[in-house]
Amino acid sequence: MVWHIARKEIYHNLMTLRFSLMIILLPILFMANALIYSLGGDGYTTQINAYNRHIEENRDYIKEQAGKGLAELALIGPGEILRHPTRLTFCADGTDQLIPRSVSMQNTGTASRSGYKEFEDYAWRAPWTLKYPLQNTGGADTQRIKIDWVFIGILMSFFAILFTFDAIAGERASGTLSLMMSNTVSRGQVLFGKYIGAFLTLMVPLMIGILMNLLVILISKNIPFESRDWLCILGMVGLFALHISIFIFLGLFFSSRVSNPITSLVWLLLTWVCLAFVFPSLLGTFVGNINPIPSVDEVSMQREAQLKQLGDEYHPFGRSGDIPSKLSKAASVEDPEATRLWATYLTKEMDTKTRFNDGHIDQQFRQVQLARDLTQISPIATFQYAMEGFANTGIVSYMNFVKQARRYRQTFVDFVKSEDQSDPESLHIYPVKEGLSQKKVNPDAVPVFEEHISYRSVLSQVGLLVLFSLLFFIMAQISFLKSDIKA
Amino acid sequence: MSTLWLVIQREFVSNVLTSRFMIGIVVCLLSTAVAVFVQVDDYEKRLTGYNTAVREAETEAQTWELYSKIKPKAHRKPNPLGIFNVGTENFGANTVTVELGKPIFEFNFPIWAAPTQKRGSDNPFLAMFLTVDVIFIFKFVLSALAILFAYNTISGEREDGTLKLVLSNAIPRDTIVFGKYLGGMLSLFPIVLMSLIVALLIAFSSPVIAFDGNDILHIVAIFGVSLLYVSTWYLLGLVLSVWTRQAATTLILSMFIWVILTSVHSNVVAFAVEKFPPLPVKHEFTFFQPAAEVWEQFRKERDAYRKQRGYEDLQKSISWEPETILRLVNTSSMSGGYFIVESYEVTNVSKADTTIFQEILGYQEQLRVEAADKAEKILNKPAEERERNAKFADALSRISFADTYHFAVGTIAGTDRQRYNDFIESSRAYKREIVAYLKDKKAFSSRAWFSNDKGNAELTDLPVFQHRRLSISESLSRASMDILILLAWNIVLFMVAYVSFLRYDLS
Repeated sequence: MVWHIARKEIYHNLMTLRFSLMIILLPILFMANALIYSLGGDGYTTQINAYNRHIEENRDYIKEQAGKGLAELALIGPGEILRHPTRLTFCADGTDQLIPRSVSMQNTGTASRSGYKEFEDYAWRAPWTLKYPLQNTGGADTQRIKIDWVFIGILMSFFAILFTFDAIAGERASGTLSLMMSNTVSRGQVLFGKYIGAFLTLMVPLMIGILMNLLVILISKNIPFESRDWLCILGMVGLFALHISIFIFLGLFFSSRVSNPITSLVWLLLTWVCLAFVFPSLLGTFVGNINPIPSVDEVSMQREAQLKQLGDEYHPFGRSGDIPSKLSKAASVEDPEATRLWATYLTKEMDTKTRFNDGHIDQQFRQVQLARDLTQISPIATFQYAMEGFANTGIVSYMNFVKQARRYRQTFVDFVKSEDQSDPESLHIYPVKEGLSQKKVNPDAVPVFEEHISYRSVLSQVGLLVLFSLLFFIMAQISFLKSDIKA
Repeated sequence: MSTLWLVIQREFVSNVLTSRFMIGIVVCLLSTAVAVFVQVDDYEKRLTGYNTAVREAETEAQTWELYSKIKPKAHRKPNPLGIFNVGTENFGANTVTVELGKPIFEFNFPIWAAPTQKRGSDNPFLAMFLTVDVIFIFKFVLSALAILFAYNTISGEREDGTLKLVLSNAIPRDTIVFGKYLGGMLSLFPIVLMSLIVALLIAFSSPVIAFDGNDILHIVAIFGVSLLYVSTWYLLGLVLSVWTRQAATTLILSMFIWVILTSVHSNVVAFAVEKFPPLPVKHEFTFFQPAAEVWEQFRKERDAYRKQRGYEDLQKSISWEPETILRLVNTSSMSGGYFIVESYEVTNVSKADTTIFQEILGYQEQLRVEAADKAEKILNKPAEERERNAKFADALSRISFADTYHFAVGTIAGTDRQRYNDFIESSRAYKREIVAYLKDKKAFSSRAWFSNDKGNAELTDLPVFQHRRLSISESLSRASMDILILLAWNIVLFMVAYVSFLRYDLS
């Protein structure tokens, strides 16, 4: 019986104007998406070429530094670390332009002092710290809705509303609902049949569109898929299904609550406009005001103040005034005492820099995370974040990358220290050049940064989406059970 | 006339009594309030940043002792109308430093690198959420409301059977169309007005926002254009309501068009133009070589002049006292040489005769400024090409009147791209002004160019950068194109609605 109702519903839907509108719009958008992302400028091919070139260069760089000895490598750092470009940007763009593509782990600068009476001449290199690039604050380009699958998903929720607003209210108004209910069929079955009907009407054209889209991308050969990508795409199809279901249930809920189909449509459209456009943007921009963080200026001022304090304590550059400087002697292999003092100073300097760099970006991340958490009250935003999670784009992918870069920072330092331990001639004082082993390092032994994609963040969003659909399902069910059959 | 008034009244009352009117008001007012609150806060931050930057620049200016060392700055003043339409307020350069020997172009003024001036939120990652300003709310929410008011004007009444009853009276059809249009607009009018009043109230509650008469006129113009925009949507709904037989179909069709015009069309266009630019944009780097040639030319001309004067070695142009040292302090030419900055430091100059040295400098430094201008023209080409591509995208976007509206308001508020380019242009004009000022003072060939032993450079009347706000008539004439397009849409849609309704078949 359920299938019977669903089939009737589908036949009815196929004849409607909204179905033809959807059938026209979907292929256009999917084709535009495929063409723009696979053939347009700065696509995956360009990015992956740049990435591979960079990996090559970085390998040579490490080889060069390793050839100069462990101490040099330990202080200059492993170079610039790039994010692997993602192939699935066309599914979820995730404001790709806004997200930095690299972090820097090197310090090429040196410092020196000379020509002082009470100070030994000395040139040194401060150890590298993990630096995060300034984000592209973006132009008008970033403030634009991208034509990716997420956007198509948002449109699908709009169509889901169009297909369900009159599902019950319409039949009630025309009197067919009471005829249907006079059969041996439960209300639950009717509702479920209606759901299946609308779901299939929406999903089948969507699937055809997705297949067309993938076909064009495959033919253009600009984005080579891996097996993992196919799994992700499958996951995204699941997300589409969940997302569409949520809005079908929402539509059925309103449709069974009100007597007039038009009223239900008006309510649904207003809800949709708020959920899709107003809420996410408003809440997102509002977070900056309810939870302010110190600006780049303030942070850098504090940082400079702390570094100055440190400088006043140690006077590495020799402007000591009356206070005797702790670092008047140069670090050398013969003088472990002075080398240790230098190590204390350089470690403190490095820690200060790291604390401020990491702290500031963590604050920014927390703020964005808060904004994302708040906007998730809209299922459309949740859907978007889940899609970004599968496509490995958006801010979360950068957060993961930063987390891994920090882990790699530790790995690299550990490697340096363990290599240093194996050299009996070394003083084992990190991070001073004279305190470390001067022996050459086997470049192949230097740990290489490897990025692992984590799909953990998707779980919570999928859970939330399931919750939303259950909630709306129950709401629709209860409201239909309570509703009058007659107009 | 009385029948027209009756139709208007009836339409108005039937609209106002519906739930959608109440919801519309609540949604519009709430979202406008939140948006303005956020934007006012952002404006305050921008203004603080601007004031700090200006203060710092003034302090810095007091330390200038030599003509060759001056670096006047052009600051972009935050626009209070940005709370209505943020536009370019939050991106691009906020300060352009004028250095005589350097060209002003995008790579040279800090666009990406300068966090020195706060721009709105302190977290650049938050830019991933669409910026919501008053115009965003109007563009999306008010237009949807206009449709919700218009969809059942004709088709709904036909379904209810009331249309027949109305027409059976002695009321001409044109009166009905006109009355329905005016009635609908009359019910939308308070929503627009109240939203704007809420926006203004919140804006005025901020201590830093002070609108002058010119601003108020601009706000009135924005209000007028917003009404025109809402009216366009209402008329579209009306036309569709005449064309379709069922109110539901009208609503579906108009909401579909709404989605296309407000969010699909312009994004597809802009995105496609960005990925497939009609004019291929060459990267700045490709222009470094030609720019470097300009500098090479400059070097040749300068050397030729020195040779002609017989002072190939600049040292010899100064009649030396013992221990006078001429040092070339700084020769910077960056990546492919897009500028050559040299400054001269002369120690123990007090007793030396530098007349000829001054003469040579007077020639070569003016030549350097000219070379910088030439290099600027070359280096600015990519920006010009990008601008032309963007204009192309804009022209295509204007097919959708939602975007026409957005452009019109951006132009009136003075937060459009054109105004930003104006700022860059006026910083160039400012540089020319400074050069003229220095020429006037014969500063290039003065002693204070390189040494302050006979007094500091006289800079008290150095021109200050001014970026004038546009008057209302200038703003309107700039936006006239967009306003005319909106007006044309209104007239066309009204005519279509009118004619269609005259031919309407009631049966």
